[in-house]
Amino acid sequence: MSSATGNILEIHDLHVEVGGKELLHGINLAIPEGQVHALMGPNGSGKTSLMMTIMGFSAYKVTRGQILFDGQDITGLSVTERARLGIAIAQQRPPTIAGVKLRAVLDYIVAHDSVSAEEIADLVRQARVEEFLDRDINAGLSGGEIKRAELVQLLATCPRFSMMDEPESGVDLDSLALVGSLVNRLFIRDSCRPVRRRSGLIVTHTGHILKYIEADRAHIMLDGRIACSGNPHLMLQTIAESGYAACVCCVVEGDGYDKVS
Amino acid sequence: MTKSVSTVDVIAQDEAETLADVGVQIRHDEPEVRSATYVLRDHLPLCVQTYREGLEMLPIAEALRRYDWLRERYFWKLISPDQDEVTRQVAAESEPQGYFIWVRQGTRITRPAQAGLFISHEGLAQKLHNVIVLEDNTELHLITGCTTGRAVRSGHHLAVNEAYVGANATLTMTMVHSWGPEVIVRPRAAVAVGDHSHYINNYVSLRPALDIQSNPRTYLNGVGATAKYMTVILGSRGSIIDTGGEVWLNGEDSGAELVHRGVCTGGKMYQRGFLVGNARCRAHVDCAGMLLDPGEDGFIESVPGLRSFHPEARMSHEASVGKVAPEQVEYLMSRGMEEHEAISMIIRGFLDADIEGLSAELDARIGEIAAMAGHGEHK
Repeated sequence: MSSATGNILEIHDLHVEVGGKELLHGINLAIPEGQVHALMGPNGSGKTSLMMTIMGFSAYKVTRGQILFDGQDITGLSVTERARLGIAIAQQRPPTIAGVKLRAVLDYIVAHDSVSAEEIADLVRQARVEEFLDRDINAGLSGGEIKRAELVQLLATCPRFSMMDEPESGVDLDSLALVGSLVNRLFIRDSCRPVRRRSGLIVTHTGHILKYIEADRAHIMLDGRIACSGNPHLMLQTIAESGYAACVCCVVEGDGYDKVS
Repeated sequence: MTKSVSTVDVIAQDEAETLADVGVQIRHDEPEVRSATYVLRDHLPLCVQTYREGLEMLPIAEALRRYDWLRERYFWKLISPDQDEVTRQVAAESEPQGYFIWVRQGTRITRPAQAGLFISHEGLAQKLHNVIVLEDNTELHLITGCTTGRAVRSGHHLAVNEAYVGANATLTMTMVHSWGPEVIVRPRAAVAVGDHSHYINNYVSLRPALDIQSNPRTYLNGVGATAKYMTVILGSRGSIIDTGGEVWLNGEDSGAELVHRGVCTGGKMYQRGFLVGNARCRAHVDCAGMLLDPGEDGFIESVPGLRSFHPEARMSHEASVGKVAPEQVEYLMSRGMEEHEAISMIIRGFLDADIEGLSAELDARIGEIAAMAGHGEHK
């Protein structure tokens, strides 16, 4: 069931502080149910902060504004509550936890979610994470291995809304095809609720991942704001040609296409 | 082998459940899971059963009457009765209480023997003297579960433990303690280890007492003798817990590894590990503490120490104290875990880290500590 607006995620005038410093200055964003959006922008523009805030990580303090998920105000909910509503994140640099194995997390998911042990075993094989199942979670993994480990956890929980922070960063070309197919699987068809694609938000620098997963729309962040939104391919092309400098000019001159008010 | 009534006939259901919490299993199919059972309630040995040839487990007083050599060679030979107030009090008992275990030459026993030491009356003082003798080419795992009845708050547990491990032998001691909140616990332990033999000392404290001091000393006298200590402690408000131990490396090519993991949810916690190098040897102490919720005056003090008398003694130590990182907790919460479940999993990982070949018994107890710490049941 989706909200009256048909948006799975709506963000209104979101201001966020980290360590007393405001990093997000009034974000407005709407993602319709069934759509996948791309988020682009230079380093430090607030892309990761936005995702971490949507997930509810306590280091990211909302000082103003609202986050609605499926029409429900989730701004005050805990990470657990958000996860159980169906929000999930694949972090770019997830923490390592000594003594906690990826297997233990997957076992927890099997025990508490609808996924079966057999399905997890298949996933583990397909994502090629067997060899680090029994190592400390995220410890000593390469970029590609981290993505695969994160994606296995996301696929296991079958989220309604998945966020991914630079799924292609640090991934070599061979691995990218695998990561891409896993990402695709996360979105392309809803195995929990057939015929509908699941929704999400993907941070990408290079756009390589968009070869594997079609984004409906892209947003560019600059200095803690969404500077413009539009067609992902057109925007990638512009960035490839002239970098984010063009975006900055565009914002300064005030003629950005499809600008968010 | 002793033959008498089954342990389930003499131990009440509620007491059996309390003992099960500390790894002592009283059940009909006991011989399938244990090689011997000794249960002492207050001052009364409730049962003594052995299920294996080559293994004897007896009340110490009876053993002293039966075997003259026990007094001549082993009784008060590793620990002096004058060592301190605890040993003096134990020595002053007219009839010593505790158990004697004797594993005869060539007997390797895979199923653990178990000793349950149980205080059922408020304020009672147990004063125990236990002696373990493993002859050459033997192997024994002893689980000692020490606990108080559910309603008991205070009491004293004073114990002298002397263990002798011959050549090519392995003794594993797994001690699980779960005490009433005002119990004072003073074990004094010493172990002598012979050529090419191994001593493994596991200590787990689940429900912390008011005041625990447990720092067993091991003498690695034999060539190639080794010791491994694993101490896992949950400390809580108002308790003073001083645990760890020391190892004297006297034999050539002896080795020791001391690991201490403490989770402090209040109270004072001392983590000790002291190595004395008297020969060419290798040894390491590793103390790590997690300060969860120290309250007003709770702390962890890590005290690893090394004393070397020999230029080829290679000894090292490490110590660290930290907290549960919020980003780790929230990472697991983002997979759908409740906060307490996430904290439990992290503590579980912290306690398990670097421990290989954890026995099923110990594994279960560590899981309980993690669950308790995660739930905040200590408060």
